[in-house]
Amino acid sequence: MPDTTGEPVPAEKGQVQPQSASPDEEPRIGVYVCHCGDNIGDVVDCEQTAEALGKLGNVVVSRSYIFMCSDPGQKLITDDIKEKGVNRVVVGACSMFLHEQTFRQAVSRAGLNPYLYYHIGLREQDSWVHHECPEEATEKAIRLMSAGVAKARLMRPLEPVRLEAAKHALVIGGGVAGLRAALDMARRGLKVTLVEKTHFLGGRTAQWEHVFPTDEDARTLLRGLIEKVLAEPNITIHTGAEVVAAKGYVGDFQIRIRQQPRGVSDDFEAVEQAIAACPVEVPDEFDYGLTTRKAIYRPYEECTPAGVVIDWEHCTRCEKCLEFSNNGGIRLDDAPHEFEINVGAMVVATGFRPYEPPQGELGYGEFPEVITLPQLERILASDGPTGGRLEWNGHPIRNLAMIHCVGSRQIEGVHKPQPDGNVNDYCSRVCCTATLSAANQIREYFPDVNIFDVYEDIRTYGRGHEDYYLQASENRITFLRYVAEETPEGVKAQKGDQQPRLGRVKDHLTWGEEIELPVDLVVLAVGVMPSPVDDLVVVFKISPGHDRFLLEVHPKLRPVETAVTGIVLAGAAQGPMNIQESCAAAGAAASKVEGLLSQGRVELEPYVAQVDPERCQGTGECVRVCPQEDAIHLETFSVSGREVQRAVVTPANCNGCGVCVSACPNRAIDVQGWRLDDYEAMVDALTAEIPALEGVV
Amino acid sequence: MKTNAQTRAPKILILATLSGGYRGADAAGQSQLEYAPDTYILPVMSAAMFPESFYWRAFERGVDGIIVMYSGTDSPYKGAPEKTAEIINRTYERMKERGLDTQRLRLAAICTVCVRPFLKEIRQMNEVLDEIGLVPSSLPPAREAQAEPG
Repeated sequence: MPDTTGEPVPAEKGQVQPQSASPDEEPRIGVYVCHCGDNIGDVVDCEQTAEALGKLGNVVVSRSYIFMCSDPGQKLITDDIKEKGVNRVVVGACSMFLHEQTFRQAVSRAGLNPYLYYHIGLREQDSWVHHECPEEATEKAIRLMSAGVAKARLMRPLEPVRLEAAKHALVIGGGVAGLRAALDMARRGLKVTLVEKTHFLGGRTAQWEHVFPTDEDARTLLRGLIEKVLAEPNITIHTGAEVVAAKGYVGDFQIRIRQQPRGVSDDFEAVEQAIAACPVEVPDEFDYGLTTRKAIYRPYEECTPAGVVIDWEHCTRCEKCLEFSNNGGIRLDDAPHEFEINVGAMVVATGFRPYEPPQGELGYGEFPEVITLPQLERILASDGPTGGRLEWNGHPIRNLAMIHCVGSRQIEGVHKPQPDGNVNDYCSRVCCTATLSAANQIREYFPDVNIFDVYEDIRTYGRGHEDYYLQASENRITFLRYVAEETPEGVKAQKGDQQPRLGRVKDHLTWGEEIELPVDLVVLAVGVMPSPVDDLVVVFKISPGHDRFLLEVHPKLRPVETAVTGIVLAGAAQGPMNIQESCAAAGAAASKVEGLLSQGRVELEPYVAQVDPERCQGTGECVRVCPQEDAIHLETFSVSGREVQRAVVTPANCNGCGVCVSACPNRAIDVQGWRLDDYEAMVDALTAEIPALEGVV
Repeated sequence: MKTNAQTRAPKILILATLSGGYRGADAAGQSQLEYAPDTYILPVMSAAMFPESFYWRAFERGVDGIIVMYSGTDSPYKGAPEKTAEIINRTYERMKERGLDTQRLRLAAICTVCVRPFLKEIRQMNEVLDEIGLVPSSLPPAREAQAEPG
């Protein structure tokens, strides 16, 4: 459980204690203006900015440098701290989300408290948005950084809030990424709870037979992983379960989980009879709607867990299955139940869903001969609707066209938006190789089939992926290339045709020749979209990107972390990924969680409320307005022999929202690191007559 | 270029939450979309920390327009957006009482990827300032820097 006092934990033996500069010492400010190559320097006059800032009070060093984030750039700072007595540092560079930590660490390495550092985003918020007016951009840089200097004068050393952390992680999603992350964390000694929304493990991988780039059998791959997860004593799995509420913070999240009942006991034996008795038929999502299933079902023979379940959404409670339910093997009156767990961190591995073309896109939904690539994968699967035979509606396929980039790289105004108004303007990456892999597989097993690969661009980006393209090229697969403005027309049948036709394809490999393809089947290589995670976005306050995949803090520097400390991403929840990449991301996510929790304690930013006992009059306004539970309370103290009440903050429960700051009538409470005085000083600096500006801009 | 010694340029202060508007501003920068340089963005954890007196003081110091770019319903801080809206509404009342055009203060929900709304807010504030001009050099005195309970 967390140390709710939030008292600093003494440094362990051998740790270097950062120098805690006295709040009363004279500020000696070092100012550093980064050119960021030419990113800032091409617009902002960095030398003049540094020169102007050097004239400000308390500034003892003011420099510009080509790359402040480089080792030599950081060394400028550390040397100035050691040699010139700099005790506050202001850097103007790229976004604070990229390099604030870099410079804090540099400051800390030189022995200065890392919170005596302030970062100004000169690139994203100045040079990159004011190309057209470099003089104004330079003035803006000077004013923004003079505001930083004003804040630096008031900065005080801070210590992070150190909390105990539960060595217990939650994994949301039981596909390959979630399974891999769970296994990696459990093997490193963390307790892991995995929740999977469906009643079965394996996710999308279970729906494929072969997976690139190794052509391995997907079920074998999956079975091996699931067996290891099931054998791991540190892992607890809840299927049919989803997170419905959460509160807390890294180290101590309280998670509420709702689990749907399976409705069928594990030892129920009359499975086939019960399934046969069920009168309900709904499209089978496992076969992407190519077949139907009953309301008592299992997705495939070797699924894990092995038993059947009730589909509560579609079950009519007709009780026909109960005829085979000896001793209560089937329980139609089971109800969902909720329970809570405490975890220190979470891995979100909610995966993806294939793009569902709207009615009419390239004939989809209008012509039965137009299907998607995931549906083709099910047709090719030995346990699929045709038993692996390449046939459609009982007829063998002899001519087949595969069209790339359906539901990917869409253009606003050209493509029909999704129901939420968005178009998928991103490349789904994995579908090119998946298409070529399927084409090669068909060529191998059905050598007489004519295959036409109709593409806009082919992006076989990963190791071994290009081999699929080369193999297809050498193996009588015919390529036709279209351009975005001239997408192929949908399928149409003409009188007397034995086969439907893929309407006109303007082929740019033959200098724009218009070609009609008589085919039996058109396969749309649909893109990848995130699984619906709106509920998790609300519950966890994590952000989706403009593509609606969950957003990492930084794609290069912090690629699996979300903006919420303690919540990390794994796999295709974050963007289109193949199995190889999903497992790599899962490994990274597991490492990040282990790094957070393995010591049994975490450090939080010290940005929490702090009461000035000299100013506090015990009005209790802060307690009344505080939205957090147990973050602030009144205590009785003795002052000059008189009993008085004063506000006391519990740092672990304070999230620094600042509601108390604006409510206090005596200005006796502030958020450490973001004090009202700081902002007033910054506004003064932004609006001041700055002598430093004279003669500079 | 205008300096303070000459006819000064307008100044727009943007208080942008780290979980919303500040990232939205970064997203606009990453897209390299131009906007007026008279904008000064300060990162804030939550705008709920600023009492009415802060806004009044900023106008007194010569800030011509203030945009509070908070996270609205996406705020990670429970209760903070509502509190921010309350404070802004009370500030509007005081601005009206003292004859300061309330268009100088705007509250906008800006998310991490709200590039177009971010640019729109800045454009609209610039249009307002073009119409109503710079903040008067002398404002009626502010009340004691106190927040009203509740």
